[in-house]
Amino acid sequence: MTEQVMNKKGADVDPRAFPKFSLSTYLPALPFFAIFGFFFLFPIFRLIYVSFLSNDNQLTLSNFQTALQEPYRTGFLNSVKIGLFSAALAAFPGAIAAFYIESYGPSKLRRTIGAMSGVLANTGGVPLAFMFTAALGFQGQLTKILKAAGWDIYAGYFSLGSFTGLLIVYLYFQLPLMIIIFSPAILALRHEWEEAAKNLGASARQYWLRIGIPLLFPSFIASFLLLFASGFSAYATANALTVGNLPLTPLQIGGLLDGNVSASQLNLGKALGVMMILISALAVIPYLAIQRRTSRWQLR
Amino acid sequence: MATAMRRGKPALTITLFLLALFVFIPMLSAFEFSVRTPLTGGYGWEHYKWAVSEPDFLYYIIRSCWLAAVTVLITLFILVPTLTWLHLSQSPLRPLIDGLSLLPLVIPVVAFAVGAQISFPELVQNTVLELPFLYFILALPYAYRALDIGLSSIPLKTISEAGRSAGANWFRSIISVIIPVIRGAVTSTVAITFALSLGEYTLTVLLHWDTFTTWVTYVAQDNLLGAIAISMMSLVIPFVVLAFATLIIPERNTQRSK
Amino acid sequence: MSSKNLKIQNVSKKFGTVRALDDFSLTVAVGELVALLGPSGCGKTTALRIVAGLERQDSGQVFVGERDFSSVPAHKRNMGMVFQAYSLFPNLSVEENVAFGLQMRKVGKSERRVKAGNLLELVGLESQAKRFTYQLSGGQQQRVALARALAFEPEILLLDEPLSALDAQVRVNLREEIRRLQLSLGTTTLFVTHDQEEALAISDRVGVMNRGKLEQVDTPDALYNAPTSQFVASFIGTMNKIPTRLTNGAVELFGKVLKASSKEVTSSEVIALVRPEAIKVARVGVAESSHNAVVVNRSFMGASSRISCRTHSGQLIEALMTSSATGELHPGEGVHLEVTAPEILVTDA
Repeated sequence: MTEQVMNKKGADVDPRAFPKFSLSTYLPALPFFAIFGFFFLFPIFRLIYVSFLSNDNQLTLSNFQTALQEPYRTGFLNSVKIGLFSAALAAFPGAIAAFYIESYGPSKLRRTIGAMSGVLANTGGVPLAFMFTAALGFQGQLTKILKAAGWDIYAGYFSLGSFTGLLIVYLYFQLPLMIIIFSPAILALRHEWEEAAKNLGASARQYWLRIGIPLLFPSFIASFLLLFASGFSAYATANALTVGNLPLTPLQIGGLLDGNVSASQLNLGKALGVMMILISALAVIPYLAIQRRTSRWQLR
Repeated sequence: MATAMRRGKPALTITLFLLALFVFIPMLSAFEFSVRTPLTGGYGWEHYKWAVSEPDFLYYIIRSCWLAAVTVLITLFILVPTLTWLHLSQSPLRPLIDGLSLLPLVIPVVAFAVGAQISFPELVQNTVLELPFLYFILALPYAYRALDIGLSSIPLKTISEAGRSAGANWFRSIISVIIPVIRGAVTSTVAITFALSLGEYTLTVLLHWDTFTTWVTYVAQDNLLGAIAISMMSLVIPFVVLAFATLIIPERNTQRSK
Repeated sequence: MSSKNLKIQNVSKKFGTVRALDDFSLTVAVGELVALLGPSGCGKTTALRIVAGLERQDSGQVFVGERDFSSVPAHKRNMGMVFQAYSLFPNLSVEENVAFGLQMRKVGKSERRVKAGNLLELVGLESQAKRFTYQLSGGQQQRVALARALAFEPEILLLDEPLSALDAQVRVNLREEIRRLQLSLGTTTLFVTHDQEEALAISDRVGVMNRGKLEQVDTPDALYNAPTSQFVASFIGTMNKIPTRLTNGAVELFGKVLKASSKEVTSSEVIALVRPEAIKVARVGVAESSHNAVVVNRSFMGASSRISCRTHSGQLIEALMTSSATGELHPGEGVHLEVTAPEILVTDA
């Protein structure tokens, strides 16, 4: 045995030896941590840090103070509103559609709808905005059809760039998103439970009241939360359709980033970003928590 | 069960009908719009022809595909070994990494963009060293989960030991043994990551990069109809291809595929 | 509510082109436990589900007592059912699960509690009353399911392969428990399984099914010793099937002429059905020519040994004897096989 090996062996046995950090246990995780840390954690921490800096790099809360005033305050309110409304408008129809598709649809149909919903749910931004401009814009074909049917949607103050208009467009990706994320919950409703309930004397109504809906409820709430986060954070579509008339936080941040809007506080955008993260986290973290709990009886 | 199926059919049909209306009416209207030829007052493929013949069209599609492909490679290179190791070693790090993989869901893309803008040195920006990695982060929650589920559903320990005892080192094991076994999950991962990268706009535009999606917006400033034609193509083509693919490809036999 | 008898009369059911049940009839007497046994696809589960009202038959009737249940919806049938797996409601506690049937029958809260508690005690799970499904093992879940099915004193108890998803040891214990409970409550029970050991061990009678038809329904003893068809003979236990010729009501097996009991045998080419325990294996000297088979393998199982031999005609015969009687037989040894049964069962070839 070489001296090196003997020393090493000694170190292994000797209780006074310096505690070894067993590198091999954690080494394989290094690539992941390196990439994830550098490209994700680092920017986020830096964002949080800078949001507390004033123009001359002093620690301050002034960015946040400004962020809570107009016009940013309205921006937050509008963003939260559009998140809530688009989630509410999409959640119920989406849940019902998911129910019928998963319960009664043949396998091929379910998969096809799943895939198509995937495409639609990720249809964001610019193509979607253009598509709706083409359909429901002032010159749009659908507008013309509706006009012919007697409903001039532009008679009032409607425009695609208004809150209502944006809401309608958001629905286009929120509804498929709901179908995608709620379907597993429907699938998890084993038909054994319905049969057992029937056998024990429950009518369909009683089954739904005592078993079905209580089981679906947490997933429904979770899905709603995710939809909210999705609507709240959406940028591209809003950017393409609005013309600066509708204050929305993502747009305001975008403006500050571009330098189109010059603010006296350089780091205002960062503060806005941090607040967006907080609001989004308020929705997504409960979503993840509920998903974790309900997965106990799903996907067995 | 059969009786239940019959009872539900009418409701299903109504649901599908309403969904179809919801999905296709805007699409068709937009399509109609995009084949208008305002100068002649009739219809034609003018805008599509224009779009396809634009030199930038091909350039930007290739560029976006290239970035997406790099993203996919990064994703697979990092996640497959890491997840394989996590599954095999029962490492205490697993819950931590599971949790971390979900974090990008919590952060709105806009906020992430702001953070990214102030974090990376100039020389790295707008190169292939930066953007695909950011796309990787965005796709991480979905890719991680797809691969995790895939690896959970196979007898990983047995397979890798079989591979190693047959003489393959770790690298070869992963490539020749593990990836083929979980090819369903790998395919999903590739699809999700690729689609996400191709369609990503927010991060791209806020950080002043050029990809297909940002180019379309740029085009719209001068030629709205042309931009609409391009948008229609980028929406409809994946839609149709996926619908076709799922209808054709047989599903692996599960309990529900009856 | 006392148990009634169950009468299934000429029930047929088709799924698409597949005939799941073909003119199936069976009567289960009050307090009797009848098992439906057969390979997958034989129709046993379909029959059970029709009785439960979860499927509707194409033709035929189901009677409970004197009442025709054919058009009674499932939730009004007052039958307790235990499913194969995953039937406990995950959002309700064990206690609430067990009390569910009572709740549907508008029984008051405190009475429900008491009755549920009683039943949980009967299955030994009163300590788990407040727990939830995911906290219980498979065996525990099925015991809760059993308690739940019996809580409202159903007229009929139905069990759909309740033990299939459980470990071997748990299966044996739980089947005894089911039988014990059923006997003490006197509930008319129909039990579906593909495991013959299970069926034979706990049933009053067993109905062997094949491809939608009931082949034979009899006590376990009768099924084993007097199978009426080749299917039943092969399905229950191990059976040697020796092709031979029937002449004047007798067959010759290994040089011995034996009386054959033949029902509905149409030709003289028959198959003799001989149980392993009815075959005697004797050692013969090395040079002697009276050996009619060669040992292939001997499985020592303690008190008894299973010996497989190959006859000169190439057929593999299985014999079961006490280990002391066989001594140490080695593969390759010549032996003399002899059938010891007084009468041989034969069926058509």
